[in-house]
Amino acid sequence: MFLKIKKYLFRKFKKLETDVHDLNYLFWECTTRCNHNCLHCGSDCTKDSSFPDMPLQDFLKALETIKEKSKFFTVVLTGGEPLLRKDIEKCGQEIRKLGFRWSMVTNGYLYDKEKHFSLQNAGLGALTISIDGMKDSHNWLRNTPNSFKKVDEAIGLAATSKRLNFDVVTCVNQKNINELPEIYDYLIKKGVKAWRLFTTTPIGRAKNNPDLNLSGQQLKYVMDFITEKRKLKKLDIKFSCEGYVGDYELKVRDMFFFCRAGINIGSVLIDGSISACPNIDRSFAQGNIYKDNLFDVWQNKFSIFRNREWTKTGICKNCRDYKDCMGNGLHYWHGQTKELIMCHKEKISEPF
Amino acid sequence: MTKNWIRRLIGGLSFTTALFAFQACYGTPGDGWDDVYIHGTVKSKSSGEPIENIQIKINNEGYISTKENGQFSFYTSFNESLPISFEDIDSLENGYFYSKDTVIKALKSEILLEIFLDEKTIQE
Repeated sequence: MFLKIKKYLFRKFKKLETDVHDLNYLFWECTTRCNHNCLHCGSDCTKDSSFPDMPLQDFLKALETIKEKSKFFTVVLTGGEPLLRKDIEKCGQEIRKLGFRWSMVTNGYLYDKEKHFSLQNAGLGALTISIDGMKDSHNWLRNTPNSFKKVDEAIGLAATSKRLNFDVVTCVNQKNINELPEIYDYLIKKGVKAWRLFTTTPIGRAKNNPDLNLSGQQLKYVMDFITEKRKLKKLDIKFSCEGYVGDYELKVRDMFFFCRAGINIGSVLIDGSISACPNIDRSFAQGNIYKDNLFDVWQNKFSIFRNREWTKTGICKNCRDYKDCMGNGLHYWHGQTKELIMCHKEKISEPF
Repeated sequence: MTKNWIRRLIGGLSFTTALFAFQACYGTPGDGWDDVYIHGTVKSKSSGEPIENIQIKINNEGYISTKENGQFSFYTSFNESLPISFEDIDSLENGYFYSKDTVIKALKSEILLEIFLDEKTIQE
């Protein structure tokens, strides 16, 4: 009964959030160059050297169009690997000058002591570093020898910062799923406070690689692992907001599933496209900063993100959880398929 | 405005935490900390000229060096008493100066500093 009331109120809250659609989290795909060659590349981020890095001034011009912003509006620098940009500190400083906060997602390979200080001096406020297993499994997925050593150093540095809102993310796959308890202990030892787990979206190079995708039983194991570890309160461990997980909602994260893509989350992609999260199919782009006003596009377009009735098709059509799920994370809808790529709730319930 | 108020109320009533401090699935946590922007110039006390390459240590947590025009800038946490030290790390190059330690009250969003360093003689 209590849970039903909570769910009902949360649905109302989502509706209001959607109506208000405050933009307060903006990805900037500032480069698609990368120093890794990950096996899952093209799934949730891309390495594509055919695009030059977006000039800082072009992005700032777009940012200047945002007239109303919340105090902690965050610009999230992502890639590719953002640390390959030589002007990364300058980017951060200029973003701060316009009154925005900034943060960064990195593979940690170039995050050394000098960078740790120079980025914070430039106003970096939050940081996410990816670690995809202990030494062998991390190096395997990253397809880069020495990657674990580097990320280990980066995590050690970031965890000591009193200023950074820092967390670690892990993409669970066949090679690291049995290492989760070991990674958990390792992160606690390193002084990490927050750890987010997610799965690989079966697209790009990840689609046909069986080592990257989990079975239903394994996804359930991940849910149970998170649930148990959250009870210990030693580490703020959670499942990412990638998908709706049925009965595990609130057991594996702090709040119910809510895909805020296009509701609070926008992006400026490498070619200037205006969209929501960068891992969402590029055909969903709503405009381009080189010909449109970013804030106008945000205010007046994005209907495909804010009215998700169109997702009520295929397996979603008659699902009794639709009101709470609303078609799962939007990055699970690709191209012209008009069919959800994966339903987490259904996968968890698969018979063993 | 009314809608904002209602959404906060309903959000609160749904008893879930971190309603407005969300993070995108492949993004970072939000940056929700208040911080201070400290900037200024380091100069020679005797000549008034800006000094390049003075290392500034911030609360023993980080450092930055002055540029050619003696200027520096950095962000740091709000702090009732923030220790900052200024040290000449390049010996005779760009002059030869005594170090200086100071403690400032870093409770405003922006602080401008002008720091003067005493010059050392070569014998010292």
